[in-house]
Amino acid sequence: MNDLLRAMFPEIVLCAVACVLLLMGVSMKAATRRAAPVLAILALLVAGASQLSMIGGSAPRLDLRWNSVRIYEFARYVKLLSSAIGVLLVLLAWPSNSDATGGPAHHFGTEAAEFFGLMLLSIAGIFLVAGANDIMLLFLGIELASIPTYIMVSISAPRAIAQEAGVKYFFLGAMAAALMLFGFSYLFGTTGTTRLDLIAQRINPITGLTSWQLLAVVLLIVGFAFKMAVVPLHFYAGDVYQGAATPVTAFLSFVPKISGFVALLKVLFAVTAGTWHIAPQIVKLLWVLAVLTMSVGNVLGLVQVNIKRLFAYSSIAHSGYMLVGVTALISTTNYEVQSTALQGILFYLTAYGLMNVAAFGVLILLPGRLNQPFTSAETFDDIAGAGREHTLLGLAMAVSCFSLIGIPLTIGFFGKFFLILPAWKANLTWLVVILVINAAVSAGYYLRIVGSMFLSTETPGPRFRQQPASDKPVHHPMPVLVSVGISMAAVLWFGIVFPATSRLVTRAATAAHIEPAVNSPVAAVSQR
Amino acid sequence: MNSPLLILLLLIPAAGALIGALLPIAAARSWALLISVATLLVGIVIACEFQYGFSGFQFTFDNPHLALPFGSSFSLGIDSIALWLVLLTVLLMPLSIAASWEVIKDRPREYYSWMLLLQAAMLGVFVTRDILVFYIFFELTLVPMFFIIGIWGGPERRGAAGKFFLFTFTGSVFTLAAAIYLGYHAGTFDIAAIVDYARSSLTDSERFWVLLALLAGFSVKVPLFPVHTWLPLAHTEAPTAGSVILAGVLLKLGTYGLLRLALPIGILTANSVAFPHVIHFLGWLCVIGVIYGALVAWVQQDVKKLVAYSSVSHLGFCVLGMIALNTYGIEGSVLYMINHGLSTGALFLVIGMIYDRYHTRDIKQLSGLARRMPILAFFFVLFTLASIGLPGLNGFVSEFLTILGAFTSQYLGIGFGTFAALGIILGAVYMLHMVACIIFGPLKTPDLHGHGEVPGDIGKREIAILVPLALAVVLLGVYPSGVLRSMNDAVTRIEQPIAQLQQFNGGAQHRGLIPAAELALKP
Repeated sequence: MNDLLRAMFPEIVLCAVACVLLLMGVSMKAATRRAAPVLAILALLVAGASQLSMIGGSAPRLDLRWNSVRIYEFARYVKLLSSAIGVLLVLLAWPSNSDATGGPAHHFGTEAAEFFGLMLLSIAGIFLVAGANDIMLLFLGIELASIPTYIMVSISAPRAIAQEAGVKYFFLGAMAAALMLFGFSYLFGTTGTTRLDLIAQRINPITGLTSWQLLAVVLLIVGFAFKMAVVPLHFYAGDVYQGAATPVTAFLSFVPKISGFVALLKVLFAVTAGTWHIAPQIVKLLWVLAVLTMSVGNVLGLVQVNIKRLFAYSSIAHSGYMLVGVTALISTTNYEVQSTALQGILFYLTAYGLMNVAAFGVLILLPGRLNQPFTSAETFDDIAGAGREHTLLGLAMAVSCFSLIGIPLTIGFFGKFFLILPAWKANLTWLVVILVINAAVSAGYYLRIVGSMFLSTETPGPRFRQQPASDKPVHHPMPVLVSVGISMAAVLWFGIVFPATSRLVTRAATAAHIEPAVNSPVAAVSQR
Repeated sequence: MNSPLLILLLLIPAAGALIGALLPIAAARSWALLISVATLLVGIVIACEFQYGFSGFQFTFDNPHLALPFGSSFSLGIDSIALWLVLLTVLLMPLSIAASWEVIKDRPREYYSWMLLLQAAMLGVFVTRDILVFYIFFELTLVPMFFIIGIWGGPERRGAAGKFFLFTFTGSVFTLAAAIYLGYHAGTFDIAAIVDYARSSLTDSERFWVLLALLAGFSVKVPLFPVHTWLPLAHTEAPTAGSVILAGVLLKLGTYGLLRLALPIGILTANSVAFPHVIHFLGWLCVIGVIYGALVAWVQQDVKKLVAYSSVSHLGFCVLGMIALNTYGIEGSVLYMINHGLSTGALFLVIGMIYDRYHTRDIKQLSGLARRMPILAFFFVLFTLASIGLPGLNGFVSEFLTILGAFTSQYLGIGFGTFAALGIILGAVYMLHMVACIIFGPLKTPDLHGHGEVPGDIGKREIAILVPLALAVVLLGVYPSGVLRSMNDAVTRIEQPIAQLQQFNGGAQHRGLIPAAELALKP
């Protein structure tokens, strides 16, 4: 019991604070709403710090009794990353207006405490996914990460479009969950266990997956593809990203994605018994998914007029880049190449989280149009010339866009670098070629953002500035600025200071084994 | 062993850019000039300390703490080829900043910061010994230039900036893929080690694809014929200083990359020359670029566009000499890089001065400026003649050497040389056409609609900008052998395998092995 408590300490903290927050939501006082994000950040810091203390120490945290949770470096990395990005995301959604009912780009009314409680639950979901050694717990984690987001989309702003986005997201998400569960059921049916480590042992190492198990893996990939916004399950992304309030869009672009990738990696690890050696059909499937996702995301990104929608397609494209890493991972039997690939994926998740927070943070701070309350800048007209007005904000947006393109001296460059490297090592020449072509295509729409902010001279349309000063809601956007500042500093720091990049990569490298190989002594201990 | 000079060369402009962004607006331009002059001084110190007879890298800097995993490290060092390009860069930058002195009124702080950052990035490309760091700096030049064209450029600036960025970025992502491939297989990103690895271990098909990927990046930057379309637009729309730097240095990043990476890795193998058909193909692209650029330049109405197309034509010569793969050609090509930087940079400066006065660059609206501005006319004619390749001025030697290289090359031959020589004639035609129209003939200037007084001749500041370039143009014209001799060893090192091959074949004449400097000294 003690093991379990110790292993699940961060999840327990997050869920307990989330419950407190949900209770606090009963109060109608502004002070409660102001306290809610502070509490959420504290919870995330405690949860993150509990992982930090274990970093470097090799002792894994295992639940020896039921074997439902096994936390190795990989899970620690994911938990640290998601709690750090989680803090930045809470800062983005800070209730900054005078009665703490919303910020420059969102309005959750009196439900601030519930909102942050849901955020914590969602992040606790990623924690569960990262540590789960049981497909039930894994599924639970994925759904815990997802279900709060459906509500968050709907309560983020009193706009019809947000409600529509929430409902759409919910129904499609439910379908994905059903497919996923269907896949898990086959996995259970063919192996007779829900434990991932036992599944790994019961898969025949010589004949590999049976056709039922292959079907299970395909269904699971489909289910995870929805969370990762991978083509062809990306259709919700545009509407949901556009409809949700911008801080929630930022949340959506990171949390479901990382939970999807972590779950995919864990399942692939289990069904290959830690060898990553899987049937060639699955490799081909992921290859095709990677190519489709990158290309569709980037090409559709080019034709968008709404910036949040554009970021939805950008988010799809970035999933495609990371799928290149996954394809490299499973298309080789070389252990060293596999570690490079996993390390690349982990590094890219970090990079992507940081640059996205910065980009959405800037978007939140830029005022939207008058006739569309509770939303940030949405179209290219809204941000036209904004970089000339607010130089630092403009520069922050420029840096995150250049980082998303992959221009050197930003973390995004090294992200691409560490994905291309394993792809070369795994001899995926065409995938590398398609990836770099896509990077070039993506430059087209990211540059349009930078271009509108700095290069266009059109006078901005009817925006906040022309509103009478008395009507303007007063915002203190300091938390958003802090969030943008931190993520921006990290994007540049890991791009410019090579030693820091090296350290981050090394950290990702130590995390680049989901678990020790199944039959290693450490694993044996856990099965006593 | 570590020399601080190259690090200083990068740090001074980079730190200067950051500090300059925080200074008061009034101080921005003086600060930028100060920083660029300081960089120039470091450049001069490097030139003085440089050991010209020594063929390896000098002023090397290695720091194990600045290393990335996978064998990339922040290692610096220059040989004599890089030295001359560094000197070109540090010379052009203060002049460009001085040329922006009165012109840039809008957001001067940002402007000068981007200029200094651009300088740091360009210098970084020339001084690094690591292919990944090379790529990092190579890409980094895009960002400042994007903003310089896009914010301070002409009416079409947005399209021009985007086109410039997208063209070059699209080309160079393939270079990145190739660099990672080479770095992974060689186990290090050190350029010399990669060249060794490539010469000894790449299979033919690997080498072919790597070559194509490297060419994709560099040929767009140069630019070679079919991918040159970004250049006229970017040149025309950029502010004067932007055009100077673009023509003077940025295009040389492409040729430098070809010389430093594409040739040694893709073309020259351990004991032979790989892909003669690729050389042929490139040769035709160069020749087409030379003639097409010249013909298009001939019919331009906009003087700046005319000079921009002349760059397409001139860079054709430069690459043609390089792929001749003999000493004449390669040395001529490196000399061409410097000469083109000086004379075309200077032409853009002079055109900028005319534009500041009349706000037009239309060849039809301007005529007979020599009558009103004799000093400007003098410089204009001087730089035009240098650009055409008049003997005694710098352009002649390099043009002569590149064409001689093409004629005597085993891989190109008479056909290429003949067409290139035709390009020289065309060059004289369109350049003299421009001079005849603008400088000579009856005086004609656009109607100023009663605004302001009639503009006078160029002032002391502008003369001070042009004089160093004029001196360099004349000096390199009458005494090119100094430069040629200094880079002889570095060039020989690049084309070493060919030399071995020719010796192996008993090549009695050692064609291409007579140092070009000797040739230049002959009467």
